[in-house]
Amino acid sequence: MQNKRQIQKEATREKIIKTAIRVYAENGFNTPTSVIAKESGVSHGTIFAHFPTLNDLLLCLIQTFYDDIGIKLHNLSKSGNNIAGLLQMHLNVLEEYEGFYKRLISETSSLPDEIKNTLIGIQSTVSKHFSIVIEQGINKGSIKNIPVHILFNTWLGLVHYYLQNSDLFAPNTSVLKQYKNELINNFLELIAK
Amino acid sequence: MKNCISCGMPMMDVSDFAMGDVDKEYCIYCARPDGTMQSFDEKKESFTNFIIKTQGLDKSVAQNAAEALMRKLPAWRGHFMD
Repeated sequence: MQNKRQIQKEATREKIIKTAIRVYAENGFNTPTSVIAKESGVSHGTIFAHFPTLNDLLLCLIQTFYDDIGIKLHNLSKSGNNIAGLLQMHLNVLEEYEGFYKRLISETSSLPDEIKNTLIGIQSTVSKHFSIVIEQGINKGSIKNIPVHILFNTWLGLVHYYLQNSDLFAPNTSVLKQYKNELINNFLELIAK
Repeated sequence: MKNCISCGMPMMDVSDFAMGDVDKEYCIYCARPDGTMQSFDEKKESFTNFIIKTQGLDKSVAQNAAEALMRKLPAWRGHFMD
């Protein structure tokens, strides 16, 4: 049972996490933590009380995303495996974190190795569920017999291309919201046997 | 809900647990055929091969990523001490 002080501390931590995800999405990972403190309505010292280093904060943010996508894809797999449902859920989660994810994939090379490896972990979670449904489709003869990593990277490449060029495809709005169905339907057409 | 101590997978129902035993702390994917948990080396190798198979990454990159991800999991913390 948490006491009032612990509940308040947890609420502040949640507020910092939500704000940091939004601020980094808008301004990139070079944004000073003082901006996150200001936007969160807390002192700069409070940020460091919760996250002693910038790396701790970044890891917590990416882990929040990692946990969320992991649980959502896992739950989906329990309600039956199908490729269309998986791609839909993948893009639904990415849409929730769209700005943050776009920054992650655009700025990967400048981020610490720990963050890069966590991003590989996130893609591994997606690729695990992806490979299960793809292999089922290949065995049934409904999906072309192409190596799983090529199919996965083709899907990810398509999604990332739209995200990284969102200003060309969907200025001022969510590119995933606008193109989700088109990307899914045409990818399914491309891989169908 | 538990998370597998070896790979971090959420374990929400009986079918997720090794041998369908909800008292186990690890998942079906981290168990050997006899139900015991895979060793560090076995897990690292299977994780690396999985990353290569599903994402096509370079072997050394996949090995580093596998080890970095295992570093955060309760089953393997002892391997990274000292």
